[in-house]
Amino acid sequence: MPAAVSDGRCFDHPGIAILFSSLFVFRGRASPMAESAVSVAAAALIVAGWELAARAGVIAPQFLPSPSRVVIALWTMLTEQNLVWHVVVSTARVWIAFLLAAAMAIPIGIMMSSYRIVGAALEPMIDFIRYLPVPALVPLSIIWFGVGEETKIFLLWLGTFFQLVLLVADDMRRVPQEFVEVARTVGATSRQVMTDVALRWMGPTLIDNLRITLGWCWTYLIIAEIVAADSGIGYVIWTARRFVKTPEVMAGVVVIGLIGLVTDQLLRLLHRRLFRYL
Amino acid sequence: MKNGYVQFVGTAKSFGPVDVVRKTDLGLDRNSLVVFLGPSGCGKTTLMRMVGGLDEPSSGSILLGGEKVVGPDRRRGMVFQSYSSFPWLTVEKNIAFGMRYRKDLGVAEKAERMRHYLELFGLADFAGSYPNRISGGMRQRVAIARTLAAGSDVLLMDEPFGALDALTRERLQVELRQIQIREEKTIIFVTHDVEEAVFLADRIILFSRRPASVVADIDVAAELGPQRPLEIRETQKFFELRNKVLHLIRNETGAIV
Repeated sequence: MPAAVSDGRCFDHPGIAILFSSLFVFRGRASPMAESAVSVAAAALIVAGWELAARAGVIAPQFLPSPSRVVIALWTMLTEQNLVWHVVVSTARVWIAFLLAAAMAIPIGIMMSSYRIVGAALEPMIDFIRYLPVPALVPLSIIWFGVGEETKIFLLWLGTFFQLVLLVADDMRRVPQEFVEVARTVGATSRQVMTDVALRWMGPTLIDNLRITLGWCWTYLIIAEIVAADSGIGYVIWTARRFVKTPEVMAGVVVIGLIGLVTDQLLRLLHRRLFRYL
Repeated sequence: MKNGYVQFVGTAKSFGPVDVVRKTDLGLDRNSLVVFLGPSGCGKTTLMRMVGGLDEPSSGSILLGGEKVVGPDRRRGMVFQSYSSFPWLTVEKNIAFGMRYRKDLGVAEKAERMRHYLELFGLADFAGSYPNRISGGMRQRVAIARTLAAGSDVLLMDEPFGALDALTRERLQVELRQIQIREEKTIIFVTHDVEEAVFLADRIILFSRRPASVVADIDVAAELGPQRPLEIRETQKFFELRNKVLHLIRNETGAIV
């Protein structure tokens, strides 16, 4: 007789018990399969609990609609309320402002750390502006640019450029002096040190920083769209709120989360592809 | 030895108020391996960096073949202890980096030199590997190969084997000595390890604590000859020389290295 019966393990699949028991070991390692299973189960449990709480009427539906109602709202918004259009508009705003900020922040940040004159001139100013909260500048932005697209792009740019430029300057400063000197002693000019060594070394952290600041861009987008817009996800959420259409508000939030998740994963994939040597 | 290939002429260096290198007059012969030995942070590295043109003397100058050194160029190559090879380039491309800015070499010539150095350092099997996939010893071989491929006449090595395990370190010391003789290079090797200094050097220049000044000039080649097989470490002569250097350090610098 096999002994497995008596020690309480699953007799048919002794492997499964071992697979999951390792999850409870302090600082232990579990198989990716087991971990994914736990992740899915935990999320499902939360959603199920939410659904049950909503259906039982514990909380009024205008505060907490059930997940199924949110999904239905999402479907209606997609099919009848042009949600895709709003998503496209919001995404375009984020990317235009983000690319504009990156295109300016990368060269300026690099120059700040490469030449003291640039660093000394810009660093205090940028540090000051960096601490200004973006919402505080909304009124000024509206006075300057009105309520059109310029205001939104400006606010998003404002929120990302000043952060990113300092991150880039920091990355540039951290390029090991050894690398610079090795390049110099094999005959590289300052410009070649910049392109062939500094930029290559910065690559991985630069992509990481871009990924993080892109996330901030979405935060500012919602602020900009709530204040002054007639399109975009922020506008959709704000409009739904006015009529206490809570399922639609929640659906809008879920959409932003999904976009963030997808973008982040794509950038991570790009990171892995570009920097195979890591 | 005063009229050497590398000459320090009243060379001194201070960083702001801190004197790092006291006025130094010194000549180093071509095709020899000179070890700068001294306590950590004594200024020996600064002296070597000035040969590379990476630091500028506060007074005096450095001559290379009678010509004053101004700024770095590929006649003098650096090998560092850490960050010695570029992580984003394969072994092959790291070595090729040494020739990247040479317009005097054709494609075929570069390929030929590459083959030569891959063979010389036993790196042929790792040509396509990234530095994080090879051992620390291999990474230092890559760095030396890159410097030689660049066509450097003088190799400036800043404790290049400091981070390696004892066995790898011994092997690289033997290899470096062989390569120095074979490729006829002038090497300035900075270390604070007395064994390493005696094993490698044609000549040891012993420096005091900061600000660095020469306290002893030891002709090792006269005692041990140019060839340095590993067994030389077990000879009486090697012991005596090592003890002599240790004593000098204790007495003259008052420092424990």
